[in-house]
Amino acid sequence: MSDSKNSTCDEQAFDHFFKSHAKLLRSYLYYKFGDLDQAEDIVQDAFIKLWNNCAKVPLDKAKSYVYTVATNLGISIARHQQVKFKHQNYITQRKTDVTNESPEFVMLEKEYMEKLKNAIADLPERQREVFLLNRIDKKTYREIAELSNVSVKAIEKLMHKALLSLRKKIGDI
Amino acid sequence: MLDNKNDDIFLSRWINGELSPEELREFQSHPEYKHYAKIKAGADALDLSEYDIDTALNTIKSGKQTSIDSNQKPVIKFWPYAAVAASIAIIFGLFFFNTNDSISSSYGEQLAVTLPDGSEMILNAKSEVSFDKNDWENNRTVSLDGEAYFKVKKGSTFTVHTENGNVTVLGTEFSVDSQASLFKAVCFEGKVRVQSGQEQIILTAGKGYRKIAKSASENWVFEALEPSWINNISSFRSVPVKYVFKELEEQYNINIETKQLDTSIIYTGTFPNNDIDVALKTVFSTLGLQYQLLQDNKTVVLDN
Repeated sequence: MSDSKNSTCDEQAFDHFFKSHAKLLRSYLYYKFGDLDQAEDIVQDAFIKLWNNCAKVPLDKAKSYVYTVATNLGISIARHQQVKFKHQNYITQRKTDVTNESPEFVMLEKEYMEKLKNAIADLPERQREVFLLNRIDKKTYREIAELSNVSVKAIEKLMHKALLSLRKKIGDI
Repeated sequence: MLDNKNDDIFLSRWINGELSPEELREFQSHPEYKHYAKIKAGADALDLSEYDIDTALNTIKSGKQTSIDSNQKPVIKFWPYAAVAASIAIIFGLFFFNTNDSISSSYGEQLAVTLPDGSEMILNAKSEVSFDKNDWENNRTVSLDGEAYFKVKKGSTFTVHTENGNVTVLGTEFSVDSQASLFKAVCFEGKVRVQSGQEQIILTAGKGYRKIAKSASENWVFEALEPSWINNISSFRSVPVKYVFKELEEQYNINIETKQLDTSIIYTGTFPNNDIDVALKTVFSTLGLQYQLLQDNKTVVLDN
């Protein structure tokens, strides 16, 4: 078959596809539905479904296929259990080099980071999604817009709103 | 600008670095700027917990073709929650239910403890402290067996009680090491009063006091800002080698069989607390001793 390379049934192609998309899908689902463990389970299920249906899904449609499947799975789970966005143990801080800061300073920083994480958890779903995809996953507004099929302008507005909400929530330091 | 209600993407252009130099300059002089800059810096320091992509792929491969029974998941997923719940319960238990708190560190472990008034102490390996949490305001006394470093908040007298004597704080940062017959106090900031038997001495910043067994006490001057073990290095200055062995045993949970070796030889040097091979090599090769770490990784035998 001439298009075996473009088929998701080809194991190498599947592996490659998984490795280039799984991580972002996991982040996307987590920001959307609020539970990282659950997001990982959904990623797994969505890719298994892709594999089982590989004959029907060409590689260039695979991305939108897994996103659709995963989002639907997430929604059906969310319908049964209302999950509040969880950040404990999931969102970590990048390791910096050993600091020579005083314990007071480190403490204040820690407090601020807790505040920030709580404020992020309280953001409306769409704002949180855009904010974290942009800041943690370093996705451009265009890439984010493509993930959720909206205009770049809409993403920019959401980002602006997210920052306003965070600023309001955190208050003066 | 930020105050312009019509510009509803201003902040998203800013965080993406799309503002023109004039706009940016104007924003930076705005009183709100520092708050947003802090949010940006904070958010950029965030990261997600690691995703092991190869394991995930393997799981999928082993699960391929088998249809997934989504009903089973809640059962499987109960464990992580139970584990988290249990660990929270234990932590709460430690800090809230026990009034006369006793905290001990295990082999090779360091523990940072915050006292009720915000003072901090860091326990070195195999050390134990206890204090009365409820009466803390009136009685800032900590009983110590082992070694610890203290950063004390201003307030009433702060005393570290050990079998070998008491150290009373007049200032803020110091470390105490109390073992069977070794008593050491080092002051890093402020003033500390040391009392051992009939002897009483005041240490100022950068001074240390030590008494080994019945021999005369000694004092010295140093320049460090905190004890080296905070940074995972054990250091010794003219101490009988048995204390060095003891520290090795406590840091690595090993047993050193010294046989007929004279453990009162004086030793000066350091070893790392996170690499057993380097540590053993450093100590024993400088002493000119052959050694062997037995199969169980727990026993060190010295060959004369």
